[in-house]
Amino acid sequence: MPRLTSSTQRRLWFGIRVILIALALIITLLPVYWMVNTSLKTQVEVFTSPPTLWPENPTLSNYINLFVRRHLGAYLLNSVIIVGSAVVLSLIIGSLAAYSLARFAKAGLQDKVNFWVLAPRMIPPVALVVPMFLILQQLGLINRKLGLILVYTAFNLPFVALMMRSFFQEIPVDLEEAAMVDGASRLRSIREIVLPLASPGLVATSIFSLIVTFNEFFFALILTSTPVAATLPVGTAALIGKTQTLYGEMAAAGVVAAVPLVIFALLVQRHLVRGLTMGAVK
Amino acid sequence: MARTRGLEGDRRRKALPWLLLAPTALFVGALTILPLGYSVVTSFREFPLGQAPAFVGLQNYRNLIGDANFLSSLETTLVFTIAATGLEFVLGLGLALLLKQEFSFQGIIRSSLIIPMAIAPVVVGIIWRLLYNADVGLFSFAAQALTGHSVSVLSSTTMALPALILVDVWEWTPFMFLLLLAGIQSLPHEPFEAARVDGASAWNIFLHLTMPMLRPVIVVALLIRALDAFTVFDQVFVLTQGGPGTATEVATLMVYKTAFRFSQFGYAASMAVALLVLVMFFSAAITRAFRASV
Repeated sequence: MPRLTSSTQRRLWFGIRVILIALALIITLLPVYWMVNTSLKTQVEVFTSPPTLWPENPTLSNYINLFVRRHLGAYLLNSVIIVGSAVVLSLIIGSLAAYSLARFAKAGLQDKVNFWVLAPRMIPPVALVVPMFLILQQLGLINRKLGLILVYTAFNLPFVALMMRSFFQEIPVDLEEAAMVDGASRLRSIREIVLPLASPGLVATSIFSLIVTFNEFFFALILTSTPVAATLPVGTAALIGKTQTLYGEMAAAGVVAAVPLVIFALLVQRHLVRGLTMGAVK
Repeated sequence: MARTRGLEGDRRRKALPWLLLAPTALFVGALTILPLGYSVVTSFREFPLGQAPAFVGLQNYRNLIGDANFLSSLETTLVFTIAATGLEFVLGLGLALLLKQEFSFQGIIRSSLIIPMAIAPVVVGIIWRLLYNADVGLFSFAAQALTGHSVSVLSSTTMALPALILVDVWEWTPFMFLLLLAGIQSLPHEPFEAARVDGASAWNIFLHLTMPMLRPVIVVALLIRALDAFTVFDQVFVLTQGGPGTATEVATLMVYKTAFRFSQFGYAASMAVALLVLVMFFSAAITRAFRASV
């Protein structure tokens, strides 16, 4: 075999890289495209063989049906109310804890607190679901928005506390101390110095909590069931049973549930790694 | 100028850190720690229909050990976890190495690869239902074109589990990719330059420099993914409901069915406790093994 010169070798390697990356992109995006494609087809076109690569008579009838006949609007509204409340609550409560952890905890205590904040997060949801159901049943909170709001707030808290702590720690203590030396109260120095500096962190953290909570299915499935309180994922899953072979509607429901979240995720890309590991990797 | 501190102000200052922590502790205590304790209590009970729950001691656990269905669901879960996490790691590492150097369109490529992770697992289930479906799916169309007969992947006892693993790999390889990429990009340059000057091959640099230095990130990535895969539920619920037969009945799904289809809350709780113990044991073992080998 003739020895390859280093420049042909480099060009070959470059070509292989481009092909592999293109392949990864196709595998990643094609399934998503297929859902969007199916959602815009008529019922007849969905069943054409070979399948059409794009809708020949694009229609929004699947989307309209979902909102008119299948309560999708109600599920969407429930999700917005439940997720919105849980995110706001956990952000306020968790940030207080995060500030305390970032500013006051000494090294030894820091480790202990780390454990107690992180441990609840490591508990698999399945370990909590049976008692949670029994407790909320006793309290009359099954199939009520309030029940899910409380559960989601508690689940978000460890995440918010750890994320916000890592953002607070990046704000130099000196800035705050300087303000306090100048006579500002701690509250005022938090309001005027810490919060503005931490606001990108607050935004990123809230979007992360929002994505996780909005997509949560396991607890929502068990704790809610009807359009009175059920969230979008539960409503969407219920659709699968009801619509049978109405694949167009199924796909449209998927698009409705996915699009806002994908946009949110792209907005917090920069903080994605930190968010996914709760501050363990930056 | 510093203000003079009164005795009361001093006390308030000392209490402040705890006051700030209290609401979080209260919430997590009431809605995580308390249910966890209640889970253990429930696992010692039986819930006969129409009667008050009765204490049955270790009966649920005794039944659990001899329950072939539970053991087989554990096996299914383990196969799923190891295969999915392993594949995601290998593919994610490959992608990270491919994309580590500056590249045109890098931003767009990265953004595209993030999309599957942001989509709700339920929707991911829908996406793959559309692909796997025997009547309208792309997969069955391709299979028909290649082999001449249509295949219903999700109703085959041999193909259903690999099909679910593929779905998980599709959704979570980007996670491994992102974490490993961040890890690789944060490594110091000097050791790599020194190795290149010394004439080390790319493979040797990867094996003896990149991998050992990446170890902390690898541990975090593997742990997070393995724990999530071990308690997978949403996609299985949407795609197969554990079928055909019990071919894809993962442990979480079995707990769900036992509690909410058959109303055996006590027995379901004992399964959940067993799973929790397994999860804690494995994560402690993995963390320790990796720490020891550093």
